[in-house]
Amino acid sequence: MKLLNFLVPFLAILPHGLCGNSNTDKYDNYRSHSRSTPITLDDSSYADITSKPRDYHVAVLLTATEARFGCILCREFQPEWELIARSWNKGSTPGDLRMLYATLEFTNGKEVFQKLMLQTAPVLLVFPPTVGPHAKVDDAPLRFDFSGPISADQLYTWIIRHLPEGPKPPIIRPINYMRIVSGVTIFMGVVTLFTVLSPYVFPIVQNRNIWAAISLIAILLFISGHMFNHIRKVPYVAGDGRGGISYFAGGFSNQFGMETQIIAAIYAVLSFATIALAMKVPRIADNKRQQVAVIVWGSVLLGMYSFLLSVFKVKNGGYPFFLPPF
Amino acid sequence: MAESPLNVLLKGNTGRNTRGLLRIIILGTIAAAAVSSRLFSVIRFESIIHEFDPWFNFRATKYLVQHGFYSFWDWFDDRTWHPLGRVTGGTLYPGLMVTSGVIYHILRFLTIPVDIRNICVLLAPGFSGLTALAMYFLTCEMSTSPSAGLLAAAFMGIVPGYISRSVAGSYDNEAIAIFLLVFTFFLWIKAVKNGSIMWGALTALFYGYMVSAWGGYVFITNLIPLHVFVLLCMGRYSSRIYISYTTWYALGTLASMQIPFVGFLPIRNSDHMSALGIFGLLQLVAFADFVRGFIPGKHFQRLLTTMIIVVFGAAFVGLVVLTVSGVIAPWSGRFYSLWDTGYAKIHIPIIASVSEHQPTAWPAFFFDLNFLIWLFPAGVYMCFRDLKDEHVFVIIYSVLASYFAGVMVRLMLTLTPIVCVAAALALSTILDTYVLATPGPNPKAKVVEDTSSEPLRSARKPDVGITSYLSKLVVTSSVVIYLLLFVAHCTWVTSNAYSSPSVVLASRMPDGSQHIIDDYREAYYWLRQNTPHNAKVMSWWDYGYQIGGMADRPTLVDNNTWNNTHIATVGKAMSSREEVSYPILRQHDVDYVLVVFGGLLGYSGDDINKFLWMVRIAEGIWPDEVKERDFFTARGEYRVDDQATPTMRNSLMYKMSYYNYHTMFQGGQAVDRVRGAKLPAEGPQLSTLEEAFTSENWIIRIYKVKDLDNLNRDHGNAVAFDRGHKRKRATKKKGPRVLRTE
Repeated sequence: MKLLNFLVPFLAILPHGLCGNSNTDKYDNYRSHSRSTPITLDDSSYADITSKPRDYHVAVLLTATEARFGCILCREFQPEWELIARSWNKGSTPGDLRMLYATLEFTNGKEVFQKLMLQTAPVLLVFPPTVGPHAKVDDAPLRFDFSGPISADQLYTWIIRHLPEGPKPPIIRPINYMRIVSGVTIFMGVVTLFTVLSPYVFPIVQNRNIWAAISLIAILLFISGHMFNHIRKVPYVAGDGRGGISYFAGGFSNQFGMETQIIAAIYAVLSFATIALAMKVPRIADNKRQQVAVIVWGSVLLGMYSFLLSVFKVKNGGYPFFLPPF
Repeated sequence: MAESPLNVLLKGNTGRNTRGLLRIIILGTIAAAAVSSRLFSVIRFESIIHEFDPWFNFRATKYLVQHGFYSFWDWFDDRTWHPLGRVTGGTLYPGLMVTSGVIYHILRFLTIPVDIRNICVLLAPGFSGLTALAMYFLTCEMSTSPSAGLLAAAFMGIVPGYISRSVAGSYDNEAIAIFLLVFTFFLWIKAVKNGSIMWGALTALFYGYMVSAWGGYVFITNLIPLHVFVLLCMGRYSSRIYISYTTWYALGTLASMQIPFVGFLPIRNSDHMSALGIFGLLQLVAFADFVRGFIPGKHFQRLLTTMIIVVFGAAFVGLVVLTVSGVIAPWSGRFYSLWDTGYAKIHIPIIASVSEHQPTAWPAFFFDLNFLIWLFPAGVYMCFRDLKDEHVFVIIYSVLASYFAGVMVRLMLTLTPIVCVAAALALSTILDTYVLATPGPNPKAKVVEDTSSEPLRSARKPDVGITSYLSKLVVTSSVVIYLLLFVAHCTWVTSNAYSSPSVVLASRMPDGSQHIIDDYREAYYWLRQNTPHNAKVMSWWDYGYQIGGMADRPTLVDNNTWNNTHIATVGKAMSSREEVSYPILRQHDVDYVLVVFGGLLGYSGDDINKFLWMVRIAEGIWPDEVKERDFFTARGEYRVDDQATPTMRNSLMYKMSYYNYHTMFQGGQAVDRVRGAKLPAEGPQLSTLEEAFTSENWIIRIYKVKDLDNLNRDHGNAVAFDRGHKRKRATKKKGPRVLRTE
């Protein structure tokens, strides 16, 4: 990347130096400056690389990866884009199919963004050649709008579809040796740790109370709709439009993150009260204390259940049942 | 103390008989309650098959009864998926149809003339009674308390989570599958407890029946091995486990392979690999256990370590090689979407489009299970008190099933049985403790306290029982209130939410009387009576089974979504311009197109609301021709009014839905009541289709596909000519559009 940064100013003056040269040189020139990664463009080099006549395809990703623009999609997609370019440039392309991959940062290409009236980023433009065997009559660029996170393979199939027939290099993901090595190391470390600590670990692993706690927490999470939050990515809380917070989402099949936590807590209290009544109270030897415990847990059960019903009534308007006090 | 008549009845031998009789009466009553609470729909509407899939099952059952078992087995159905057809006999789970076929023939043998439709309608309620019974047996295996089984049976009988799939008329695989699921688990627990080949073989038999009935059998296939695996990890290997598991696995796998649709999946598909792996592991453990008796400790340790390393290495390499070489099938999409929750949304829009495959929000849990949902964790906790083999089963089942139910609404069905078991365990503990006239601990409910070093925290002190009557009164009365509330809740939910056939809709008139909206059957019978027997009807796949079942006309796609491309073709025809759609319709011999439109009535489950899924599925196959983005306005809104995008307004679906709709209203006041949108004063024009039928409330609209024009004009010109417009010069310059029909 450092090399590329250095090249940017150089590329900017390229058009002046290359005015007289033929297009073939233009392609080779760009190609030679960036062997594997996408070419980094700015306003003027963008104009040059897309200028007519051109006898090559060029795919330009207009993006804004800098942190201050807060474009998460741009930053997430950047490595995928580099992967596409690298796979193409390293792979064996068919002889007469020429293709360039380039990136235009918003900071370097404000004018282009304005000219294209782009409100969002990233956007991919693919310019077909205007001369040569694959030239198209309609030289307007093809545009790909990103509607969400996308993998390199998905975009690559889209690009390939708009290229002429013929063999194309496949996407090759580099093997992440670091990850394999670290994975193996961590695995062996865990095994060693486990072997060394086994006298201390075994009582914990075999502890019935710990397993009971784990199971109950998992069950409470699942039955209070945690997986729904996970899949739908619901907001934690939302405003009620009057400056306050609404804890419960309107509608039967809708919920907030905090709402599910409240429900999980209600279920937990109710279950605990049940357990207390069924298992703890009969084991209290003192009569008075037992009496008090029964009344306390009984009223906790009633109060919580009543609250749960009233919450459910909020979610399901026509629900006719309730319990006092709520 | 004098012998009162009551004491004679309740003590000694007579007492046992009395209690047995009472128990039978109670179980009979529970079964009756279970059946009768499912009859709302029959009483309110009529004896009719519900929804979508049941219509196919009903059609298949009729075929079975008419043509006999063998031709049913070899059934090739050329009236669906036109022009491909479907090898129906080999791609369905025949258990349900065969069951009702057998019942039908038994009744005929007893000279009771019953229509096959009534058997199909009442099969699910009938089996729910059996499910309650199976639940009683299963729970009795879990607890020594006599009340737990009865409570669980009562819960299972009326809990809405199960009723949702088993009301009268809901003739679906789940109708018998839940009974088989519960009963198979009961037999499995029995087998593990006794270590008996007989119980193991019975488990395999019912497992085979389950495989023939429902695709959800995979749940059993994975849960039983997991149970065994956890028991092995807990160091509880015994010959009981070995005998029951190997018997079940060998016989059960053979039984499941008899179903053509399953075939060789049990030894090739990754879903079934865990069962095979545990089978192998169990052999090794048994062998190690056997060798231990002969070899001194130190040698044995070394042998064991070597063996573990070698076997696991070989198994891992073998698995990788087989998967890479393609001998073992990769995970099936539906199953995979359970684990990687983002998978379906990206890769399989057809799965994501089904509302049953959506994740579950918390109100759905409470709606379906009421107060059982908070008794459930308490019951699971109590399973940790004894922690015998069968309690381990309950715990594993609970955690897994609650995960699955959270990921997919449909799998609430598999969670319901274990919730009933656990809740019954919790509640019966409370009742046994508090409903006792004498002070002190309940002698019957006394469990053998676990003598292991570490009991549960809450069970460390000795049980002394409840001393004061006030405490007993408080707890007992509140439990009774909760139970009554539960019954009221279940009845209300069943009556309001789960008893609508969805083929027939009910609404209330302003004066409170009930008004039946019967547009579906009106339209299907119109098709049946006014179109030739071989007229092909195109509709979105939701309505394929109903058209096949009620209208008896061939369809292009139906709810058996086996061919995504074919569905995408229909989606493309619906979402493209007429000029694009017409050749597609001609190519597929379509005579009629059917759309569902709820705009007049405010019926939200209509095709315009499902339209985006058609677009998405079509886009998956033809990304260049159909683009989801084009159906949204520049501001990203999905609109149908005059702001709608040109693509939307020119799509066949939009045109068919709103064709002539503005004539219902005066002076440009046309309103779509579902989307609350004011429609343009000028309605869409159709040139390649003509309106054939619109039902009373406009819910179903049927269009006839025009034949080729007699004068070889294209349809747009022909319609323009008929309306008196002059042909435009511009179109002449380009020359007439060539209509490709092959």
